[in-house]
Parts: sequence; C-alpha cells; structure tokens
Amino acid sequence: MFSCILVANRGEIALRIVRTCRELGIRTVLAHSSVDRDSLAAQLADETVQIGPASARKSYLNASAIIQAAIQTGAEAIHPGYGFLAEDADFSEACALHGLAFVGPPAEVVALLGDKTRAREVAAAAGLPIIPGSPRECGTTAEAERVAGEIGYPVITKAASGGGGRGMTVVRDPREFSRSYREARAAAKVLFGDSRTYVEKFIETARHIEIQILADGSGNVVHLGERDCSVQRNRQKLVEETPAPGLSDELRAQITTAAVACARAAGYVGAGTFEFLVDQDDNFYFIEANCRIQVEHPVTEQVTGLDLVREQLVVAAGGRLSVTQEEIRRTGAAIECRVNAEDPERGFLPTPGVLSEFQPPAGPFTRVDTHGRVGMRITKDYDSLLAKVVVWAQDRHQAIARMERALGEFRVCGNGMHTTIGFLREVLCHPIFLDAKHTTSLVDQMISPR
Amino acid sequence: MPDLIDDASVMLLGVLCRHAAELLGASSLPPRHIRVHVGDMGIELSWPAGGALAGAPESEGPAAQRQPGARPRPEDGGSQAQGQQIVCAPTVGAFYRCSEPGANPFVDLHDIVEAGQQLGILEAMKLMNPILAEFPGQIIAILAEDGESVEYGQPLFAVAPC
Repeated sequence: MFSCILVANRGEIALRIVRTCRELGIRTVLAHSSVDRDSLAAQLADETVQIGPASARKSYLNASAIIQAAIQTGAEAIHPGYGFLAEDADFSEACALHGLAFVGPPAEVVALLGDKTRAREVAAAAGLPIIPGSPRECGTTAEAERVAGEIGYPVITKAASGGGGRGMTVVRDPREFSRSYREARAAAKVLFGDSRTYVEKFIETARHIEIQILADGSGNVVHLGERDCSVQRNRQKLVEETPAPGLSDELRAQITTAAVACARAAGYVGAGTFEFLVDQDDNFYFIEANCRIQVEHPVTEQVTGLDLVREQLVVAAGGRLSVTQEEIRRTGAAIECRVNAEDPERGFLPTPGVLSEFQPPAGPFTRVDTHGRVGMRITKDYDSLLAKVVVWAQDRHQAIARMERALGEFRVCGNGMHTTIGFLREVLCHPIFLDAKHTTSLVDQMISPR
Repeated sequence: MPDLIDDASVMLLGVLCRHAAELLGASSLPPRHIRVHVGDMGIELSWPAGGALAGAPESEGPAAQRQPGARPRPEDGGSQAQGQQIVCAPTVGAFYRCSEPGANPFVDLHDIVEAGQQLGILEAMKLMNPILAEFPGQIIAILAEDGESVEYGQPLFAVAPC
C-alpha cells in the first residue's frame, strides 16, 4: 500500500478520500487552491500544498502544479476525486511518466471510455444494446441531419468529449436541427476543446440505471449492483437510490452482466460506473461509462458495507479486490440527496455566501458527506454541491421516511444563501416518486408550472 | 498527535509555543494563521501577503511542517519600512536563488533592483520560471531558502519600493 498520497481535489470528496487514507494509515497531502486553504480536508490532511489561486484552471485543473506538488512532497500516488482531472487521459499519462500512480484506470482506458463515441463502440462490440444514433461523430451538419432524420425525432446531440450531463442538447423540431447542431459543436469546442458531436435518439421517459463496477489488475471484475439516478435537473442528478425500485431481477441481471462485460472489454481497472437508460418497455441501452469514483457512491457503500475509496486505493497499489462476486451482499435500501447552495425559486441560481449556521442531520443510519462548516465561504469558483445526505433503511419506504426526517433537521443559514433542501423534500413526497413510477422527466414536470 | 501525552511531548509543546510566541512578539501585526503541532514537530504562522513583515524578522510558511522544529530564516533585514511589497511564488515548485549551483545569487540582501530584474528561479516540472521584480526597490528580506520547496503564494522576497 502507498505510504503517501496526494489528493488533487476539494470539497466533500477530498475530505472523503483523506478519511479513508487515514483509516489505512496512508499519509495525505492535499493540493488546494487559495480559497480552500482552511477547508475541512486541509485541516485533516497531514500536509497541504497551495497550488494556485481560486480559479480552477490555475489550481485543480493545473496538471503540472499538481504533479509538482506530488513530487516535492514525496507522494507516491495521486487521487483525482471526481470532476477536474479525474478523467483526463493526459493527466493520467503524465502521472505515469513521473512515476506516480494515478488512482483510476490506465490512461488508454480513460481515453477510450472518455471519448463517448468510442465508448459506444466498445459497448456495442461487447454485445450491449446502445441507443440508436450516429456510429461516430458526424462530419458535417448535413450528415448529422440525415442521421437525425433516420433515427427519428426527438434526438439529442452529445459532445464526444463531454459526459456527466454536460454538452447535451435535445432537438424536437427537425427545422431546428442544423442550427442546434452547429451551436452544440461550437459549445463543445469551448467547453471541452473538442467540437466532435454525435447524435442519439432522445428517449423521453426513461429511468437512469447505472452499475457500480470494481476491477483489479488481476482480471477480477465485479459489480456492486445498480443505482437509480432518475431524479435529475438539466441532466444533473439530485437524488440517487439503490436498489432501483421496481426493477425486475431478470432485468437487473441483464444490465449488471452487460456492465461487467463492457468493463472487461474495455480493460477496466479501478472503480467505474456504467450508465444505462431503461425505457418504458423495459428495453435497456448503454449510454456512457464514467472512469471515476462518483458523487453518489455512498448509496452503494451503505447497502454493501464496502468502502469504495479503499478498494480504489488497494487496486491502484497493485492489490486485489477485497471481495469476489459471490461474497457481495446487498441489504436494505439507501437514498442520497444532494444539497446544493442554489435557489430553486430563481431557476436554481447558485447562491454563494458565508455559512452562519450549519447543522447537518445525524442519527440512525444517517450519513452526511460534506465539507460545510460554520464560517465557510461558498464562492462562485466551483460547483454548488454543499452536502450529500445519505440514509439507509430496511426498505425503500422506511428510507424515504428517514430521509424526510433527516432533511427536516438540516439547518443551513447564510446571508443571501439558499439551499435545495426544500425542493428535495418536495421530490420525496411527490406521489410519482413515492410510487417509484418516476423517470428522468420528473423534475422538469415539477418545475415547469413555476 | 501522539496517542499518549507523555512528558517529552509536553516539553516539546512548550518549546514550540515559546518559539511561536517569539515570532508573534516580533511582529506588530496579528497573524492570519497559527498552527503548533507536536507530531512531526513544527510551527506554522502566516500573515496576509503584503503585511507579513512589518516588524517581523521571521515568517514561517507551511514548509516548517515538513522539517523538524522551526528554523530561523537565513537572512532578514534591518529596518522594516512600511509599504514594502512581498514577492510571492507564482506557482508551486523549487525556489532557487542562483542561476545554477555554485553561481552567485541573482540578488542579495539590501541590493537595489530595477523593474524586470531577475530575483530568482522557480522550478516546476523541470521548467525554470524566472522570478522578476515588478517595480524598482530594495531587497529588505529573503524569505525562502535556496532549493526550498515552496507553494503558490508563499512569500519569497520583501522589497521596499524606491
């Protein structure tokens, strides 16, 4: 196992990683920006290195500063968390060149699955159903429009270097397609440095079902079951749960088998998530693979009793997974709600500010992953995730009740600051959600009358 | 923190606190950040950029965390004029005072420098980034050691504009 690791991230995930490192006796170095100097992760880490100013481009996206920090502190590995450089194949390769272990898959796998068009090809070759769409990115707008016509509207345009809900546009009206496609390519160029864009059929009412995969360097690939992440706003997840309610055992088996096959075909190593859409006729389709620990990983931890960050570190150090597929047991139900510093009444506008009061919930089977604390300043430099409230219970019904209890006791105050706690509670008591009949269009339906 | 608070740890804590008090007493400004710890020793104090040295002969950065005890700074200035500017590290890396080992330092204490004059080098990932004076002035203090690993924003020189 490593004796020293550099954590190249911030917020709740940096704290999450530092905590498991401490349990494993691994010395931690936190690379942070100037505004995160007094963060909880910085306080808990054994050592800190300020690598840049607030701007992510000059700090958390600054690969050379991060690697320099690792070299000069004697770190043997870098954990990139999620977002930022976590799925940057060049960064993964640069780590390897400098003799640093990258906690994630090898660079070529990151490159392969990070290109969403190539990931579709890998999935299709492994026998997975994929959403009807352009085989690769479309060269010209005319070609893209032809493909869209063949697929049938509505369609969704996706940036090949995007993913995570970013760089996607739904087009319902064929007359809008060419303008929309050109704008999508331009936006992709700005956002990801790569204008390549592909077209898929847009499945209007679907459930987002993703499979958590763990793989080690000895050829062991296991799945830890599924997560239902259908509650999304603008393709950003708000509520995640496991098990996926109403998913038949047969369909679950098909999807988990498909995910494992895809992971093997891609040569996956580490913790990864393979995402699928399930339509109203119970057809499932691969959409993308995420080569990182995900925000919503705690719900899987709660039902399996496994520490996914620990498995990541063991695998990155050359070890084997701590469980075989037969040994993995899932009990009960877990739900996570993402609490963001946003105002639902103003289109979920981020509300930066200083926390004057911060009292997260606790109690039976209640876990909160957060970097929040009284006096912390939330700036506009980073995303608005403030806390993840995760509950476990013996069944979904009790888990929902527990989450409602937990959110009800969560106190967050700050001048001008708002959170999405109230909105999340509305989701939890929505009849469609309670009945587990909800799809990815639930939140849009809830918002539209506003 | 050590698992057992033994006599040696208590004595060490006392020594560290006395050092910290000396550093605090030497400055007329309150620090922004103080950390005194016993596991792996060390003291850590920092002042806001630009105000660190009004009266303070030593300014310890987080580098102290990695080395046993608090090291006195190698060179410090005499008069502590108001309005002095701190030249900080533009990135994380290794600070060098000379163009190469064995050469004379770019600047010494009390040197008068011109705008654009090279004061040192910050090496990161084998790239040598020159550290340049942004305005004419006099070197009042040199705040990092030759070869020291520094972080972004760490004070390197105190320069009194002239």
